[in-house]
Amino acid sequence: MIMKRLRSRSKLHRRVAGLLALAVALIGAGALYSLVLPAPQTAQANQPDSVAVQQGRQIYNTTCISCHGKNLEGVDGRGPSLVGIGEAAVYFQTETGRMPAVQQGAQMDEKPRVLTPDEIEKLMAFIQSQGGGPTMPEERGEELRGTDPARGGELFRLNCASCHNFTGRGGALSSGKFAPELDGSTEDEIYAAMLSGPESMPRFSERQLTPEEKKDIIAYVKSVTDGNNNPGGNPIGGLGPQSEGLIAFIVGMAALLGITLWIGAKH
Amino acid sequence: MNSDKPDLPSEAELADMDRDELSRLGARLDGVEVVEAPDPWPVKGTRAEKRAERQIAFWFTLSALAGLAFVVIFIWWPSKYEPPRDEEFQAYYWYTPLLGLTLGLSILGLGIGVMSYTKKFLPHEIAVQERHDGGSNELDKATILAQLSETGERSGIARRSLIKRSAGAGAGVLGLGLGVFTLGAFVRNPHAQSEGPDGLWHTGWQNPPGSTEKVFLRRDTGRPGEVSLVRPEDLDAGAMETVFPFRESERGDEHKLLLALQRADNPVMLIRLRPDDARRVIKHQGQEDFNYGDFYAYTKICSHLGCPTSLYEQRTNRILCPCHQSQFNALEYAKPIFGPATRKLAQLPIDVDPETGYFYAKRDFIEAIGPAFWERA
Repeated sequence: MIMKRLRSRSKLHRRVAGLLALAVALIGAGALYSLVLPAPQTAQANQPDSVAVQQGRQIYNTTCISCHGKNLEGVDGRGPSLVGIGEAAVYFQTETGRMPAVQQGAQMDEKPRVLTPDEIEKLMAFIQSQGGGPTMPEERGEELRGTDPARGGELFRLNCASCHNFTGRGGALSSGKFAPELDGSTEDEIYAAMLSGPESMPRFSERQLTPEEKKDIIAYVKSVTDGNNNPGGNPIGGLGPQSEGLIAFIVGMAALLGITLWIGAKH
Repeated sequence: MNSDKPDLPSEAELADMDRDELSRLGARLDGVEVVEAPDPWPVKGTRAEKRAERQIAFWFTLSALAGLAFVVIFIWWPSKYEPPRDEEFQAYYWYTPLLGLTLGLSILGLGIGVMSYTKKFLPHEIAVQERHDGGSNELDKATILAQLSETGERSGIARRSLIKRSAGAGAGVLGLGLGVFTLGAFVRNPHAQSEGPDGLWHTGWQNPPGSTEKVFLRRDTGRPGEVSLVRPEDLDAGAMETVFPFRESERGDEHKLLLALQRADNPVMLIRLRPDDARRVIKHQGQEDFNYGDFYAYTKICSHLGCPTSLYEQRTNRILCPCHQSQFNALEYAKPIFGPATRKLAQLPIDVDPETGYFYAKRDFIEAIGPAFWERA
């Protein structure tokens, strides 16, 4: 009998131990799972977001729908489909005032922002919920400036300078279109433009140009625009040796001529 | 002219002459007569004279101060690059302009000082110099001819043919050498390496003869020693990336990795068309399998004069050359549709390596890239 009790107790023991072990294993697996699994990259329509998404839909219905269609499918002859363009594209187009557009055209020009930052946030959430796409980085503003502007310059000259000029002065494209100058562009706008490829610009995904490379490019752009690359007092168009050489020649020649006349004068 | 020479003084007369007389005699011997040399400040110690002196001293002092400032700035001013947002940026920003300003001011001050001194303190003298008319007189002509021919005769060069010939040979060979030196660079056989990657018909994407290594597509990350290969999923639709050839044997060889990025005929534009556009693509006959899905690889070297044609408009799918505004249609085997270019951009046949998932070039371009040359109109 003692033996039996002992046995049953050990049986109970074993059961409890087994249950405990199972619980530990489950919790461990869960913890491991949450550790190993990366956080979702895109902010899909989560519960807290859905309010923003709904408000974003309302903004869409009042400002974008006539050209981009009821379901973002685009309207023939008016505007392209917005499915899958991602929040980065929305941010760039609305933040720089290119959207909402005033009229149809080959190229939308930058103009004062129409939507408020709050409206833009909501619209971004809505468009992002409709087919995903490139998202904005978590950092904002000056955090987006990299630490290696020299390397950023290399990458800028390789990928961007053919259209935007090597110090971001912009340049001509086909049929009257043009690449804008980069003066006054914020870090966020430059990042969003690289990600989303607005208008004629190609897109540069995070795998093609890593976030670190994009930030270095921004650091370079910021170091040569907004009057930061202007030691002579006037950039003379920033076009490089032609304009600089011409000015140096004309001004320098005039100065030399003046000095020669002064040296040769009798008194 | 001999008749115009002034009478030379005897030794005793010379010993008696003072400095002014000697100076005048020297001028007269050269045919120069100083008519007048008024002192610019006949009355010494006037206020005007002192002011002039102070002005000149000011320029020299300015030059000295600016020169000192230049040395100080050159040695101690912060010259290390700082990005614009940092506080040290303003100091760095002024480094080069300040060097130029101070050194320029120093030189200018010295020059103005010297010039002002000559203008204000040297006598404004008026001098007359005699000119002789016509050529030399008959006597001079006859004597110089006689002297020259006599020297030639005495050197005996006419009789010594060995010297004459060897000197001629030396000078002639030297002349020939100079000619070869000048023209030699123009004489070159462009076909000597026609089969290898260095020939005009091929590019760096061609393996050297005897090698069958796989040539992968590599991107430039701004760090020449870094190898970053390209996968199809790296590019979004509507993306363009410049790629360069890479062979596994080059891994770790910094020099070769750098050369691959710098070689003129290497850059290739890898373009991923948007799916809607990819459906409209017209391929060139015989090059139907050169693309990989929506990915098309065209040389970046313009077929007009070899500029980099890297202005890719992802909406219109046009590739623009910034030099002479040639335009190529990426949807139609990159054929020229505007501007001076007359040939299409060569297409690189690409595929994805099933083992690694990276893009590789199946072979070199099947045609020459870049501008025309002799055999390629």
